[in-house]
Amino acid sequence: MKNLNRYGYFFIAPFWLVFLVFSIYPVALTFYYSFTNYTGSGTAEVVGLANYTRLLTDSFFVQAFVNTLKIWGINFALQMGLALILAAIFSDMRLKMKGQSFFRAIFYLPNLITVSSVALLFGILLDWQHGSLNVVLMNLGLISDPINWLNEPATAQISVSLILTWMWFGHSFIVIMAGISGISTDYFEAALIDGANRWQTLVSITLPLLKPILLYIMITSLIGGLQLFDLPMLITDGIGSPDGSLNTMVLYLYNQAFKYNNYGYASAVAYGLFIITVIFSAVVFRSMYSSERKQARQV
Amino acid sequence: MKKTLSMFLSLVLLVGVLAGCSGSQSANGSKGGKDIDLRIWSFTDELKKPIKKFEEKNGVKVELTIVPIADYPTKLRPVLESGVGAPDVFTGELAFIKQWVDAGYWEDLSKSPYDAEKLSDQYIPYVFDMGKDKDGKVRALSWQTTPGGVYYKRSIAKEVLGTDDPAEVGKMMSSMDSVFATAEKLKAKGYRMFPDEGAIRWFAQGDAPEPWVNDKNELQLTDRKVEFMDYAKEMKTKGYTANAAEWSPSWFESMDKAVKVKENGKTVETNVFSYVLPTWGLHSVLKTNVKKSTGDWAVTSGPSPYFWGGSWLGVYSKSKNKELAYDFVKMMTQDKDFLKDWAKETGDVLSYLPVTDEIKGDFKDEFLGGQNNYQFFLDQAQNIKPGIVTKYDQQLDTLYGNAVKQYTDGKKSKDDAIKEFYMKAKNAYPDLTVPNK
Repeated sequence: MKNLNRYGYFFIAPFWLVFLVFSIYPVALTFYYSFTNYTGSGTAEVVGLANYTRLLTDSFFVQAFVNTLKIWGINFALQMGLALILAAIFSDMRLKMKGQSFFRAIFYLPNLITVSSVALLFGILLDWQHGSLNVVLMNLGLISDPINWLNEPATAQISVSLILTWMWFGHSFIVIMAGISGISTDYFEAALIDGANRWQTLVSITLPLLKPILLYIMITSLIGGLQLFDLPMLITDGIGSPDGSLNTMVLYLYNQAFKYNNYGYASAVAYGLFIITVIFSAVVFRSMYSSERKQARQV
Repeated sequence: MKKTLSMFLSLVLLVGVLAGCSGSQSANGSKGGKDIDLRIWSFTDELKKPIKKFEEKNGVKVELTIVPIADYPTKLRPVLESGVGAPDVFTGELAFIKQWVDAGYWEDLSKSPYDAEKLSDQYIPYVFDMGKDKDGKVRALSWQTTPGGVYYKRSIAKEVLGTDDPAEVGKMMSSMDSVFATAEKLKAKGYRMFPDEGAIRWFAQGDAPEPWVNDKNELQLTDRKVEFMDYAKEMKTKGYTANAAEWSPSWFESMDKAVKVKENGKTVETNVFSYVLPTWGLHSVLKTNVKKSTGDWAVTSGPSPYFWGGSWLGVYSKSKNKELAYDFVKMMTQDKDFLKDWAKETGDVLSYLPVTDEIKGDFKDEFLGGQNNYQFFLDQAQNIKPGIVTKYDQQLDTLYGNAVKQYTDGKKSKDDAIKEFYMKAKNAYPDLTVPNK
């Protein structure tokens, strides 16, 4: 029996090998670089905690942090709202919506398009002189002057948030639908018999029972949101214009490393980002566990 | 039996993974799996045809790897640092050439057997200078020169300025003041001088260009560059532009058609008179986007000579095949027959004087109404002062362009915009000395 155990290691060896070489080693190396002034070529000099003290007082990083949270927050609220409304409609027993799988595919499609195509598409749609959006709004008489969407900090952030919502609400919708289908129909039937209206069913039955799923979406979306990079990078000039409003933490990291060649400082930014992600995830996790405890008492 | 089977299976898995690694290594590694003699990396496909010629001539096999410009430095750098899967020859663009010549990635071509130093008087001076490292050693050579000019529409020039002769029109744009005077005339007839105010950024330095960073590592925002902010603002507020930012959809659109602009609260249609672009702008921007107005264009000089872009190439310093690698560089930069064909085929303006002397006489471009743009660009190139390019330029230009835009859009005062520029420059390059304002 003892002998048999050995062979298991052979099976997991490939994974560990790849994991060590491509994940652990770079992570460790980045940690080392975060204490140096490495510029991408030549030798790295150890500078102690200088990069981290700089990070703590870096107004650009703070701005990037706030921007990231803003863009993610707006996007998350809209995305969840939209996904929940759609899920409620599609799972409603009285409505019995047809063509579910068709709509599911349609809603999910934006998620499959590469971000570079999305950025190009919206770059054209939002172009302030000839973009379709302004043309439509002006023809409808809603605005008299074209709005330069990507040239004002507020509208630029909202634009990016809305694009992200468009890209991700289908994903959340599918996960929520999966969660709802996991809830026993007994609850819904009981509610129906007791004369609960749609709103009451949603608030008192669907949402509480969906809590674990919602928290799962929240955590994954948060981690993805904190790493927001490609869309802000592609949709303007790549350094977070206008007025730094699209400068997200990972974009800042990218520019420090690959544009300005401050690899050492960029490594410190990476670890700063890591710590922020850990803190945020921990907060969400805590709420998840405490809510589960409450549920356990209720049942 | 079970044991041997599981043992065998796990071995297969392991071997599979290891083979996967080593397989990709040998495909990129210098030893080569498919008898490849030379590896070349570049950021455009323009080397495809020369490589074919080179292969036929020498009976060798060359592999070209094209990496899009945005990823090019990030992909190439680790390869050059480690030497694994590195190319024997690679090209560099203006944006990063200053960093690369000093980084030692390119072989020192000044020493024998290359002796490239001897070629110094056969190239356009600024082009040859750009390929030298800080010790004056030649590291990279270029086959082209990329001076800029102002491309304008002949029909509009005739109607408004009374002439479409490039020399005459050039005189009307020889200084910033005359540019504004011409812009006023154009506006009176309903035209716009430039697509947007960013077009004049190349003339920001006036005729006394200074590098962004001097040898004491100090950031220099010259008075002329500060003045330029006002020029840009005036250009915008007086309505000399069509508000079509470079590379935006409307920027391309206005090359061929009238575009809509707002004026005194009304939307009017207007045509853009001119574009500020370098040599390659003709072939890869104008010709590819213009359909109707072909032949209606001409090129002339702006207030000061400038250049934009350009490719250099050199031999990787750790290449195992330097002789053949340099043969390719030689063909691209010094082979008379090849370069003559190349120039006629692509319209590229060459920097190798023995060839340009031969072909500049009877060159003409139908797109430009039969103008000899070759002679024009060569003259422009001779006036470019070398030695003002630093490794910081591209990023600092972007950051400064941002500050100028903040000011011209009226979002920030001049002082605030400059202050922010200093902050951003210091943030990007902590080792720079930035004025404390």
